[in-house]
Amino acid sequence: MAVVAVEQQLGPPRRRVRREGQHHLQSLAFLVPGAVLLLAIVIWPAIATIRYSFYNGTATKAVGFSNYKSLFSTADTLIAFRNNVIWVLVFPFIVTVFGLVFAVLSEHIRWSTAFKTIIFLPIVFSVTASSLVFTQIFQLDPHVGVLNALVQTVDDYFHPPGAYPLSSGQTAASLATSGVVAGPHGTLESSTAVRAGSTVRIGLTGVNPDTLTVLGARQARLPAPSPGAVTGLVWRDFSASNPSNISGVLPGEDGFPNLHLALLASDGSIITTTTTDAFGRFVFPHVGTGPFRVQIEASNFTPSFSGTFWLGPQSLTPTSNLSQTAQALLSVPLIDISEILAYLWIWAGFTMVVVAAGLAALDREALEAAHVDGATEWQTFRRITIPMLAPVLTVVFVTMVINVLKIFDIVVNLGVDTSQPGGQSSTLASDVYYLGFGGGVHTGLASALAVILFILVVPAMLFNLKRISGK
Amino acid sequence: MSQARIVLSAARRHKLFSIAAFTGLLGLAVTMVPASVSTAAPASSHIGGSVSLWAEWSSAEQQNFEAVLVPFEAETGVTVNYSSKGSNMDTAIDAAVAGGAPPQVALVPDPGTLLALAKKGAIQPLAPVLGSEVSDYGSAWNNLVTYNGKLYGVWFKGANKNTIWYNPAEFALAGIKTTPTTWQQLLTDAATLKRAGVTPFSVCTGIGWPVADLWQNLYLKTAGATSYNALAAHNIPWTSPTVTTAFDTLAELVGQPSYLLGGTKGTLANAYPTCVDEVFPKAGSMPKAAMVIEADFVVNEIVGNSANYTAGTTGAGGKKCTANPAATPCYDFFPFPAPAADQKNNSAIQGSGDVAMLLKPSAAAKALIKYLGSPEAGEIWAHLGGFASPNKMVPLSSYPDPVTEADASELQHATSFVFSLDDLQGSWEPSLWQDMLNFVKNPSPSNIAGIEKTMQAQATAAMGH
Repeated sequence: MAVVAVEQQLGPPRRRVRREGQHHLQSLAFLVPGAVLLLAIVIWPAIATIRYSFYNGTATKAVGFSNYKSLFSTADTLIAFRNNVIWVLVFPFIVTVFGLVFAVLSEHIRWSTAFKTIIFLPIVFSVTASSLVFTQIFQLDPHVGVLNALVQTVDDYFHPPGAYPLSSGQTAASLATSGVVAGPHGTLESSTAVRAGSTVRIGLTGVNPDTLTVLGARQARLPAPSPGAVTGLVWRDFSASNPSNISGVLPGEDGFPNLHLALLASDGSIITTTTTDAFGRFVFPHVGTGPFRVQIEASNFTPSFSGTFWLGPQSLTPTSNLSQTAQALLSVPLIDISEILAYLWIWAGFTMVVVAAGLAALDREALEAAHVDGATEWQTFRRITIPMLAPVLTVVFVTMVINVLKIFDIVVNLGVDTSQPGGQSSTLASDVYYLGFGGGVHTGLASALAVILFILVVPAMLFNLKRISGK
Repeated sequence: MSQARIVLSAARRHKLFSIAAFTGLLGLAVTMVPASVSTAAPASSHIGGSVSLWAEWSSAEQQNFEAVLVPFEAETGVTVNYSSKGSNMDTAIDAAVAGGAPPQVALVPDPGTLLALAKKGAIQPLAPVLGSEVSDYGSAWNNLVTYNGKLYGVWFKGANKNTIWYNPAEFALAGIKTTPTTWQQLLTDAATLKRAGVTPFSVCTGIGWPVADLWQNLYLKTAGATSYNALAAHNIPWTSPTVTTAFDTLAELVGQPSYLLGGTKGTLANAYPTCVDEVFPKAGSMPKAAMVIEADFVVNEIVGNSANYTAGTTGAGGKKCTANPAATPCYDFFPFPAPAADQKNNSAIQGSGDVAMLLKPSAAAKALIKYLGSPEAGEIWAHLGGFASPNKMVPLSSYPDPVTEADASELQHATSFVFSLDDLQGSWEPSLWQDMLNFVKNPSPSNIAGIEKTMQAQATAAMGH
């Protein structure tokens, strides 16, 4: 019936065919510019890339599969592949969850537009700019890196640093210079036994004069011996004008103020404690006969928090004893997680907006019905909202999978030092870049890796295409 | 070409903002200096026409280079069309030659690029153009750009990687009065610094090129220039005992975490240019270490951090050098010292430079090449600072301070001059950097054999032999 009606409208069949033919030609004519562009800037480069992947580094000689062979025989590719896997496993899931949570919560709060704007804002910044910001946030030095400043505040509360914090790689024992030896557990002890009435001289080095100045140190001065008491001096046994003089108390050598000391009995038990004054002097009065040793407590040297290396290659999984291949496969470097966090900040707004759009299109009746039936917020969310949003969530998820399969910008910008081929945060896309445009400029290897990357993206892409065309 | 240079020039570019304050001064110098020089320049007749010229310099460096060109243009009536290719210079020139539209004259930062073009016949021999100017350069320099017995390049700008920069105020804290001349003395001084409570070294690591530069210095000093060049071409295996010696020597430094700012962990996070700032900080912070082992380009970073920094061991106004960058801080360098047993290699220098070549001969282009090779051209930029000329005829008095003067003098008197080995490694350069970082991570003797084996395999795969 419908066909007949259409034929009647269009008149005789012969004429219709001609019109349709014209129509086809017209369509084709309109398609040509687009098709030419597509051919020139998508199809042809794609074919050229595949061709180059079988050529040598300068694209002058065909080399068969040797590029693929060398890619599959190096741990660098494994590391890049592993990082892509980490990205695909972690990022799309959490960014979808965050998008969903933000979208649902924003429906329940006042000022939801303002909230959404703030969450959405990062997507308009260039990833390079965002990376610069996060490079600062993740800085090792707590004076620069906000995150480490936070960790430091907490850490200092539980492990307060000493007045003379050791620098990295420094031990308390290395400070011992004259009249002092290393004791147990990072302590220092006077090298000889002392008795009441004697004076102990303990010379330390390896402490910056500025540290002493800040603590109000004065020129070291030996205390007078006092009967029945152990007296002594702890001082900076280093003189810039006479660096080779050890154990002499020279002008310009300051005392160690505010140093916590303990007097040990011969069995090592603590008899009493004291602290030094600005001149580095100390007194243990009325101590009996002895023999004693004077101990400098380890707490004086507790290092200050040195920061977590957020942008460092150290692995979160204990893989250091495994073979190189196993390490390449199983390590989860901290920098990957830091990058994922930064990228989450960038993309959560986008997923929120897409999910919110899906949410707005939901059938409100189902939600209201659930409320009427006495379902709690959580039950409604879990049993009604999520199932109804599933198609949207899937699209978001798959889009993000494709997005991170070819993850590049944040990796190169945030992991400046670790995204080189073989670096712990390198990905397939960053390797393509460095192989093709970095130090070596090997077009063949880069093209081969690009082809591998393409093959990996295809399934996710087809899935999305099918979903879109299915609608 | 090299990632290292991309990073460097990014760092340099970054600095340019902070030294923008100098631009006014530069402007003054630009107007004054050529006037004084052009009187000394050889009288050349009017030529006219124009020359296209490519080089890597942009921003402030470009201004300095253009100041160099001013007297030439005035003298000859030739218009020089300068075009900056930034860190892409090597790629750009290769592409331009392949495309058939190269510039007439170009300065490349890599003699490898020049030799490849000479092999293709894309550039002209320069001996007839330069005449007696050829002998103004040490044979170490000329040999680098000689192909089949013919000279194809003339060096205009040199960079010296044979330098260790130190903060004189920190050395004074430890009572060190003379800078070390042997590797052993350097380590003894490090121990003295440590006793004074000063961390001796801020070792730059980053993506690895600074460690490679450091290792290359040690290899050059222990094995000599001949072995260095052989290793660069992979005619010596990476498993050679000479390589082990260099690693062993490096371990004497990086195997002492207490000598390194931040220990081993902190060192691995110490990228350029922050590693320089730790020794020569901006006003508001104090130095955290006494020395940084880096090339002479760190001067831009140092004076960029504070205009107070004075070259040498006396602070501004003849005052004592202070650690505080807000008062009268100083900076100075000493040549990278060879181990006592290898003092003969002390004047072998690792560095880099920009070399001019002639692609399309014309009277104007030839005159420009001759001018770039003349001491007058070098002198102009020398006055402006941030420049060292390999040309022996550029008087040392033309440098703005004794530190730059000493730097340039080292370059001119190098018995042999080698380029960065990592830049000659092609596609495995990033892997080489990574291997160097792996060594810093675990500098134990047992780790050396494994790293050498890995490097040998990587080099063989990348270089085909």
